[in-house]
Amino acid sequence: MSKVWLVILGLTAATFAIRLSGVLLGQRLPQHGRWASALRALPGSLIVALVSVSLLSGGPREWAAGGFAAIAAVLTRSLLFTMGVGIVAIWVFRHYF
Amino acid sequence: MATSTPITAPQKEFLSGAVEIIPLALGVAIYGLAFGLLASQASMDGLQVGVMGGIVFAGASQIVAAERLVAGAGAFIAIVAGAALNLRLLLITASIRDIYAGRPFWQVVLGAHLTTDENWALILSKRSTGRQVGYWYLIGGGLTLAVVWIVATVAGFYVAHTLPEPRALGMDFAFTAAFIAIARTMWKGAHDLAPWITSFAVVALSIGTGVLDVSFAMVLGGISGAAVAGVLHHE
Repeated sequence: MSKVWLVILGLTAATFAIRLSGVLLGQRLPQHGRWASALRALPGSLIVALVSVSLLSGGPREWAAGGFAAIAAVLTRSLLFTMGVGIVAIWVFRHYF
Repeated sequence: MATSTPITAPQKEFLSGAVEIIPLALGVAIYGLAFGLLASQASMDGLQVGVMGGIVFAGASQIVAAERLVAGAGAFIAIVAGAALNLRLLLITASIRDIYAGRPFWQVVLGAHLTTDENWALILSKRSTGRQVGYWYLIGGGLTLAVVWIVATVAGFYVAHTLPEPRALGMDFAFTAAFIAIARTMWKGAHDLAPWITSFAVVALSIGTGVLDVSFAMVLGGISGAAVAGVLHHE
């Protein structure tokens, strides 16, 4: 088997095992109490972690554009508008600053 | 046509999911084109690009694995690098456990495979605004993303060398901005503050000190925030 097919099949198996493990783990954790509180908070924490990683992997231009996107999000709560503001802001900062 | 059966609730949810994911799917398409170009440099062929998109179906990990191959790494290193980036998917599927609960096994398998950052975040965002959406909404979004991803990666394989990089267009920031918008809709009040600050601080410390690579920093940040919420325990 070629190296590329090996990578495709290996990554498929690993990725599917990871996705399914999460489902099975979630179903085995308690429905009440501290574990349930933690699991309820997990989506928000994980979104914050994703945003933090992408902003902190950038520099001042990314932080400034993130600030504009955050203002747009707080004012409008609109996904499309916030994406538009973020893309325009990062484009302007990278080209002119 | 007068006798056509009315569409059922699951069908309606499936269609809403398939349509409402489109803004995020456009961002995915840009990345698909970029991945196609990278794949051609990694000496993959068109069939391999299409099959990989369908069965791995995790864009960032495909990009990382292909980058490793281009850099001359072995198959094992490429798989581990891609899989490390996908560890967050374990937390993602665990965090929407009610969506798969009580489903037949084939639906659990299908749902798990079609769960991505984008349709997961979208369903959370819709739910936090009070909409009752579940399994079929997730599947609708996942299938749109799968079609867009496969078509874009294969198209990119053949034509991407004529296109600008996502970064030059500011498109790399599209997902960051989208996740900022989604975080805003998920903010439910003061009890979110401690978990969110914890998550940010753990990521900042991990990356700032260089102790952890970004894949692990992301996972550790998410877990730490959730752990703080568990310790504080607001019912």
